[in-house]
Amino acid sequence: MSGRWLVIAVPFVWLLVFFLVPFLVVAKISVSDAAIAMPPYTPILDWEGLRATLTLSFGNYAYLWEDALYATAYWFSLKVAFVSAAVALVIGYPMAYFIARSPEPKRTLYLTLVILPFWTSFLLRVYAWQGFLRSNGVINNFLLWTGVIDQPLVMLQTDFAVYLGIVYTYLPFMILPLYANLAKLDESLLEASADLGGRPLATFFHVTLPLSAPGVIAGFMLVFVPAIGEFVIPELLGGPGTLMIGKVLWNEFFQNRDWPVASAVATVMLLVLVVPIMLLRLAQARAEAE
Amino acid sequence: MALSETVSPARPWADGAAEPFVRIEKLTKRFAGFPAVDDVSLDIFRGELFCLLGGSGCGKSTLLRMLAGFEQPSAGRIEIDGQDMAGIPPYERPTNMMFQSYALFPHMSVEKNVAYGLRREGMGRAEAMERVGEMLRMVQLEGFAGRKPHQLSGGQRQRVALARSLVKRPKLLLLDEPLGALDKKLREETQFELIGLQESLGVTFVIVTHDQEEAMTLSSRIGVMDAGRIVQVGEPPQVYEHPSTRFVADFVGSVNLFEGRVVEDAPEHIRLASAEAGATLYVGHGVSCVPNQTMWLAVRPEKLRLTRDRPAGRENALLAEVEEVAYMGNLSVFQLRLPTGKRLRASRANVARVDAEAISWDEEVWVSWEDTAAVVLAQ
Repeated sequence: MSGRWLVIAVPFVWLLVFFLVPFLVVAKISVSDAAIAMPPYTPILDWEGLRATLTLSFGNYAYLWEDALYATAYWFSLKVAFVSAAVALVIGYPMAYFIARSPEPKRTLYLTLVILPFWTSFLLRVYAWQGFLRSNGVINNFLLWTGVIDQPLVMLQTDFAVYLGIVYTYLPFMILPLYANLAKLDESLLEASADLGGRPLATFFHVTLPLSAPGVIAGFMLVFVPAIGEFVIPELLGGPGTLMIGKVLWNEFFQNRDWPVASAVATVMLLVLVVPIMLLRLAQARAEAE
Repeated sequence: MALSETVSPARPWADGAAEPFVRIEKLTKRFAGFPAVDDVSLDIFRGELFCLLGGSGCGKSTLLRMLAGFEQPSAGRIEIDGQDMAGIPPYERPTNMMFQSYALFPHMSVEKNVAYGLRREGMGRAEAMERVGEMLRMVQLEGFAGRKPHQLSGGQRQRVALARSLVKRPKLLLLDEPLGALDKKLREETQFELIGLQESLGVTFVIVTHDQEEAMTLSSRIGVMDAGRIVQVGEPPQVYEHPSTRFVADFVGSVNLFEGRVVEDAPEHIRLASAEAGATLYVGHGVSCVPNQTMWLAVRPEKLRLTRDRPAGRENALLAEVEEVAYMGNLSVFQLRLPTGKRLRASRANVARVDAEAISWDEEVWVSWEDTAAVVLAQ
């Protein structure tokens, strides 16, 4: 019994120390006021002898509500993350299906190829896209050379480049859970469907897709959630109009040095993420119990 | 051969003019060069309950999968109801299959599983549900329509799989080890239900099984397979009493085999000199053979008689020692050892509840059989 607790305690302590405590610190900062001081915010507890005064300032949250910039950034982040996850699903599903249906030695090779990009720095790979996308980059030069276009396409510093970068970067996170799910799919179920008159497309929509739903949800979440807070990709590939919440957060912290507002941005972002995920988990648990 | 010469409508294979329903011609399937099914030709008639019997890896499942359309033949052709099946995908064939693993869709209720095939052919919801209800009544699962497969017992799942494969009223139903996952008692009950269903629906069944008892009980005819080939096709009594090879004799039931050399070849009998038996064995019917040919005499355990005294009037009688006696309730099985070291198996029905005269361990007994009880095999 005690051994079991010990095993569970380790990750719990880890999460407590490195996740919950920092989050509480951020939450605390978010209800203080900005100040020209070190650290740059007012304490929320003011001690006068033995009397403490608790000052909670929700002005930062009100400010997020009032300034349309934040709502726009949140909305745009959610949109980019959702569209990217959807595109990654459409691209990743056939790839995962193909790998799962491949014979054994090839399967390992394909999986290695999927994971291979991780062996290079993520930063470097996103940076390399700049070389591909800019006006005198690889793609434009090739298209000009073949004569398909006579003016270079503007691709870098657009929303398109951000979508491309996110889909490219997070695609393995979509493929791997889908592969793990599809590899378990019992082939005789597909044969049974065909035997009962199900054409390939009907078999896919009535058997394969419903049975791979857990993999689809896992893959979608693994792309959607980190993409919301993505900072590096919009910074390197996006334009001035690409207003994602990660960038707003960065600006508040390091340019405006407004830690309380930045903390409030972070706290709201967490709530925006956690609430839908918890609802989803609840729906999943309910579906499984059925 | 003691085969009846009469042709009845229930035995179309005995009628040379009858048109086969399934025609398999020189069918071969190779996997990476290795023939899993090797030059098989077979006719199956309408309304038959045909069993493909063989050990694992004999090619029986591959043959079934080619009928269903899951595997493409490397050579040869399949014709079902006069239609060539070459290039026709599973979803366009007039066959349905019951899978060994049942392959029930885990995310669908019993009702939806059974309705799946009807819905795919475009039948309306109301009509499909009516047919499903009818089918579930037939397999006695009316109360389980809303359940998911994982909420059912093994026997119930087997019934759902059967209902799902029958609901489209296929011309040909393929069953891959249909009773393999059931326990013995349930298997015996289900065997008779399966025959009843087949008779009432008039569907042609092709069953794959490795269980010779199951094949005997269920089938109108048995095709025994070995190493990708059909080695014998016949009605159960024919396969059992007139096996064509040592493999069939040994696979279907158990058998005692004596290797011998033809020393006397008369029109009405032959004699085999067998070193294994330590005697010259007498066969009371003519056999096509040449002198000195090596042949095998096969005699089934239940055809051996054990007596303490040498039986009068029997050509074949050997002295043996009882090594083991296995009491099996209805039968007692004796393991006997001849002076040559050859071991025999004999069985005897336990007719009396208490038998004071019962033959027991370490006794010397005479093993004998009637002149026509044995089969002579050339290979």
